[in-house]
Amino acid sequence: MELSALLPILLGIAWLLPLASFTLIVLFGPRMGKHGVGASYLATSAIAIGALCSWFSLFCWFGHYGFKPAEHGAGSQFAAADHAEALTPALSQGEKETATDHESYPRAYTNDLYTLGQFGSLKITISYYIDALTVGMFAMVTLIATCIHFYAIGYMHDELHDVTDHEVTLSDGHHLHRPGRFHRFFQYLSLFCFSMLGLVYAGNIAMVFVFWELVGICSYFLIGFYIERKSASNAANKAFIVNRVGDFGMIIGLMALWGGLGTFAFGDVTDADGKVERGIFSQVRDPANGYALAAPDGMVRSAAFDAVEEIAFEHPGRLMPGAAASEINSRIPSWRADHYGYWLLVIAGVGIFCGCVGKSAQFPLHVWLPDAMEGPTPVSALVHSATMVAAGVYLVGRFLPVFAPEVLLVIAYTGCITLFIAATIAITATDIKRVLAYSTVSQLGYMMLALGVGGWVAGLFHLITHAFFKSLLFMCSGSVIHATHTNEMTKMGGLRKKMPVTAYTMLVGCLAIIGAGIPFLIGFSGYYSKDAIVAQALSFSLANPLHGAVFFYAAVGGAAMTAFYMFRLWYMTFAGPPRDHHIYDHAHESPKIMYRPLIVLAVFAALVGCTVPDWFPALGGLGVQNLLEQARPAGELGEGVLMAGLAYPEEHASHAHSIHVQATVYAFSTALGGFLLATVFYGLRWLNPADVKQQFFPVYNFLLNKWYFDELYDFLFVKPAHFVAFLITFVDRRLIDGFIDNLARWARKLAHFDDLIDRYFVDGLVNLTAAWTYSLGSSLRSLQTGRLRQYVMLIVIGLVALSVLINFASAR
Amino acid sequence: MESHLILLSLIVFLPAAGALALAFFPKDKPELIKLVSLFITIAVFLITLWMAWPGGDGENGQFQKGAAEMQDAFNVPWIPSFNIYYLMGVDGISFTLVLLTSFLSVLAMGASWPINKHVKAYCILYLLLETGMLGVFMALDFFLFYVFWEVMLLPMYFLIGVWGGPRREYAAIKFFLYTLLGSVFMLIAILMLYFNSDLNVLAKVEGFAPGEAGWNQLHLGPAAAELVQADGAEPLHTFNILALAKMGQHTSLFDDEMLWGKSLQWWAFILLFIGFAIKVPIVPVHTWLPDAHVEAPTPISMILAGVLLKMGGYGIIRICYPICPDAGYDLAYVVTFIGVLSMLYGAFAALAQKDFKRLVAYSSVSHMGYVMLGIGVWSAVAGTNYNPEYWQLGMNGAMFQMIAHGISSAGMFFMVGVIYDRVHHRNLDEFGGLFAKSPVYSGLAFGIFFAGLGLPGLCGFIGEVFVTLSVWNYSHALAVVSASTVILTAAYILWTLQRVYLGAEYKGPHGDHITPITGRELAIAVPLLAFAIWFGVYPRAVLDYMEPSINQEVDDLAIWTRDVKEPRLLLERNRPTRGAEEAVGMVR
Amino acid sequence: MEPVGISHFMTVGAIMFVCGVVCMATKRNALGVLMGIELVLNGANVNFVALSSDFLTTNPARGLGLDGQFIALFVIVLAAAEAAVALAITLNFYNNHSTVDVDRADELKG
Repeated sequence: MELSALLPILLGIAWLLPLASFTLIVLFGPRMGKHGVGASYLATSAIAIGALCSWFSLFCWFGHYGFKPAEHGAGSQFAAADHAEALTPALSQGEKETATDHESYPRAYTNDLYTLGQFGSLKITISYYIDALTVGMFAMVTLIATCIHFYAIGYMHDELHDVTDHEVTLSDGHHLHRPGRFHRFFQYLSLFCFSMLGLVYAGNIAMVFVFWELVGICSYFLIGFYIERKSASNAANKAFIVNRVGDFGMIIGLMALWGGLGTFAFGDVTDADGKVERGIFSQVRDPANGYALAAPDGMVRSAAFDAVEEIAFEHPGRLMPGAAASEINSRIPSWRADHYGYWLLVIAGVGIFCGCVGKSAQFPLHVWLPDAMEGPTPVSALVHSATMVAAGVYLVGRFLPVFAPEVLLVIAYTGCITLFIAATIAITATDIKRVLAYSTVSQLGYMMLALGVGGWVAGLFHLITHAFFKSLLFMCSGSVIHATHTNEMTKMGGLRKKMPVTAYTMLVGCLAIIGAGIPFLIGFSGYYSKDAIVAQALSFSLANPLHGAVFFYAAVGGAAMTAFYMFRLWYMTFAGPPRDHHIYDHAHESPKIMYRPLIVLAVFAALVGCTVPDWFPALGGLGVQNLLEQARPAGELGEGVLMAGLAYPEEHASHAHSIHVQATVYAFSTALGGFLLATVFYGLRWLNPADVKQQFFPVYNFLLNKWYFDELYDFLFVKPAHFVAFLITFVDRRLIDGFIDNLARWARKLAHFDDLIDRYFVDGLVNLTAAWTYSLGSSLRSLQTGRLRQYVMLIVIGLVALSVLINFASAR
Repeated sequence: MESHLILLSLIVFLPAAGALALAFFPKDKPELIKLVSLFITIAVFLITLWMAWPGGDGENGQFQKGAAEMQDAFNVPWIPSFNIYYLMGVDGISFTLVLLTSFLSVLAMGASWPINKHVKAYCILYLLLETGMLGVFMALDFFLFYVFWEVMLLPMYFLIGVWGGPRREYAAIKFFLYTLLGSVFMLIAILMLYFNSDLNVLAKVEGFAPGEAGWNQLHLGPAAAELVQADGAEPLHTFNILALAKMGQHTSLFDDEMLWGKSLQWWAFILLFIGFAIKVPIVPVHTWLPDAHVEAPTPISMILAGVLLKMGGYGIIRICYPICPDAGYDLAYVVTFIGVLSMLYGAFAALAQKDFKRLVAYSSVSHMGYVMLGIGVWSAVAGTNYNPEYWQLGMNGAMFQMIAHGISSAGMFFMVGVIYDRVHHRNLDEFGGLFAKSPVYSGLAFGIFFAGLGLPGLCGFIGEVFVTLSVWNYSHALAVVSASTVILTAAYILWTLQRVYLGAEYKGPHGDHITPITGRELAIAVPLLAFAIWFGVYPRAVLDYMEPSINQEVDDLAIWTRDVKEPRLLLERNRPTRGAEEAVGMVR
Repeated sequence: MEPVGISHFMTVGAIMFVCGVVCMATKRNALGVLMGIELVLNGANVNFVALSSDFLTTNPARGLGLDGQFIALFVIVLAAAEAAVALAITLNFYNNHSTVDVDRADELKG
């Protein structure tokens, strides 16, 4: 079977199986075995089969393309321009390798699955885009998810029977007693796996956005799994709403892309008629232009709105649009030379990055992730460390070809600030999961920094290694919490004797995250990935001394802090004498189903960073770095247009011996320093951390309160929003409705007045006439005396008078 | 022709006939009356479903997908001396709304079961209401349209005023007066257009002479053709909406200056727009909606939000823009601005509500803002080289949003009704913990509220995303502001869900009355959620029906912009060109 | 000496009429009033007869000359009928009030 047909199917199965599992559990969850225990088997087997499919695809990929990137893949960045003519995309029935020239363009398969809506040339579709990065992400996500599913079966077994929730006190003073929700946990996990894999599978940015939201809602459900706890539902809301703030930016980015390009597809898609629809990448980095970044035609045209209007007016009436269109097209290069549309490209990039800021918990939207630790620990391990929060980094990596250098600088600064802030907070936190959460934020900052300084492989490599060791760390912490029923490290200590497997797998995780190793020889996974980042930062600082210095020292300083807080955590938990004997006495090693996944992940956390040396038979070159290298986007990152002097060195420059050695030395020594400091304070307890606290109390307090971000945002955004809402209700109730009601009241008053007029004026007139007539009648009444003789007299007088009158009249 | 007459008349008047029959039913058998009403609504729904069934070729009355023009149209003289015809027909724009109406009518009738007060009167009014709603969507004669518009108004007034909550009289009168004000404006506009219309002039336009294709598509009837051919001296007025649209786009009949330097069609647009905008409703003429919803019984709220609001959007798409394109072009920014304002305003207002139903009502204001925004994004202008695609996206998004909102808001109101039937209060601060007490109900409610939130995979997302994406090429500023609504929407919906469904325990009165959802309620909620998912995952199910008609309208308007409006603008700037001369020589 | 002409007859008629009216206005006795009425009527009759007499007229083109006589006959008949009714009323009045004084008969006053 062709790889182009096989991969979409295999990965599609891996993607859709969890959806099937989710649907079944929704419909039949409570009836699956005793207390819904069958749900866990269903969900686990779904993701396990998905993992098999994913790894099989990975092997197929290796089998087809080898372990290593094509020869001199790096040099091709410069060579690309020379090969421009050779790069015309080649087509094969329906499916298409974006470029046949393996040396210069990543190999990717992309095609539409079905269309959501099409309007002329605008098309929004469900599609896939599969390259080495996709395959690698699938393998990583499914493997970790499978481990965590197994682990969760053990961790969540409490939910198999009725649960008494000690954190919830009812109004009658008792603790909440509720039925278990075992199946529901796995239902959400399955939905999450589906969404996360869909995000990676997606072939266009709109579909990424769809699954972006879906992982968000899964995260919402999982954080709020303990729905009875107010803190949990608050944290869930916070997570989703803060993410939506990021999505707000992302939508703007999407609109800018859509308005300018008219497509969301990453790669070029060939439709059934053999017509090629150019995707984002090839529009922004035209192969014919040597993959150099340039504002695409659509953006140029939309930025040159006024000029286009002029041309359209020159060719008015029924001649349109043919004549004008050709003239407009002929003017595009000159507009582009004037940087028309470049701003739109920057807006698109920053907008998309905003989404990533939200999802990957970067400054200033990092506040949700620590609160998200309200969810069960397997969730923290899967969603909030390894996969979902890394999706932002993944998207930045995926979208790197679209980011202008200015955007990359924004990314780098964001990552830099995040890594520093989060690391400082992690130093003071005492909740074991919060330490890990801030560590996650900090590490994500590292990844962003790496991508922002142009380290494509470095950033994504750290994404993969971090996924393994951080999920391992979380699961170990979960194991500890499972044993001690507390999150507070101040109540732990000495647990390594009680739970050795957990303690030593966690040690592996700690060593991996601080980047321990024997310099220049071998090390844990973090050793490789962190070194790559520091080296890239160094390489960047050589080209841009001003910005680069900040990044480099932040990366190095972050390494020291990482080592310090991680070993602080390990020592406080596992080393020394126990702090709380009650907890210590009840602690126990977790069941097999929980610690076996730990061992699997520990092995990966230790080894995933290594690349098999070239001289090794059959497997020479096997490694994550080389896999990622195969997906490296073509083209140079280039130089800033709006910011002159901003230059991006290509990543392979950081492999140069001078840079590499320097970076390793810096990173290793600072990490060692941090480790030693932690050992002095918490391992050997020679120095008392309380003294330091006393000494630097304001700083300590500032850090303990997480830099007062929550309070600040509450003051800046939440309260004003509620105030505006209140104001608007006031406007509605008092102003608009008041106006309407007053209008009605005035109408009634008017009606009343009208009634008065009727009653007293019109009716009065009529009555007056009647009254007059009456009084006239009664006054005339006295004339009718009933006396005949008077009557006769009157008749006579009348007659006489009449005749006299007539006489007079006729006499005239 | 006869078969079309019978088919469409059957759909519209079957409920009315049912209402008439119900009048002879004994009063003391409420169950029977409800059952009969339900069967009538189901029958109507089945007929429309049969029409919609895929594979229709337009021959036997079934709706043909992919065709843009009016289908099943027929024309029978009604009041010939005033050129009023019994003229009805459906195209993609109206047919989807007819389907939505007949579907929601069935569900809302199902939701009417708890009503026990004057059941007979209720059912009769309900069926009359359905006739009015269906008629509005099908009528193509302006006068007929107006009649149905009023027919729909009165039953609604009684349904709110008699079967409503404690402040029902206030709400009913408010609803009635607001809408009546709108329809008065509408009537003025109708008459203005009528007395300025002239079929003789239209017949002189290329392609619209009697017997030609353009003429035949207007369904003017044989009498009009004879009159036009016989003599051209007397103006031949018409109420035909299709013909008026052609006059608005191809002749300058409505361009005379009327008042304060504005043309007749500008004023007609304003009047019609106010009339429809009150129905949509948009800020600041929306305040009848929260009151009407809060007081109306659950099924009437469902109908109100699900169907009645759509009439405003439908009227703007069907009438305002095609007939008065010049005004539409000039006022496009006002329309979109009002749309965005409604989106934000409704969302903020929803954030502050304490009453569950009021909150959902304000969410309707916010969601219908998308409709206005999508309709108004007139991006087919010179600066985009008259590219109509983004406007098509916006207009389709607006229509889709109407359908999606019909489903999600009806669902939301039903979900509020379910809990209200049990605990008899709607105070958001006195709920909590329902998820534990009634998981199936809560699960369905989550699904439906997430559809309102615009979660991908559910229907609300598609409409919102289509509209939002279409705005950028029209105005960056509006696009950015409209995108910010997603934050507020998430905030108020999630906060509501937290207060109502999550938490440890129920805080309000009648806690022991919270029973699991019944089979009847399930039969109403599940189809709504199923459609929400189906349309969210496969929006083409709806788009295939309506897209050709909408695209046709947008294309017409884009061509009008290119051939008529831009030369006119150039003339105003004193820059006559070839095209401008051509426009000046337009048929008069 | 002037020959007897219409004016003489009319003078007599007028005198009778005035006498009748005076009689009606001055007599308190109902019978007296009745007699006054008769006088008035007959005064009028004299006029009728005189004015329609061919013998007296000077205008040859005046047509048929018997109209006045006929009307006078009618008046006499009516006067007889009227006198009968009036006497009946008077008799009744007398029965009820034991008087025929018309000034006492003021029950019809307003």
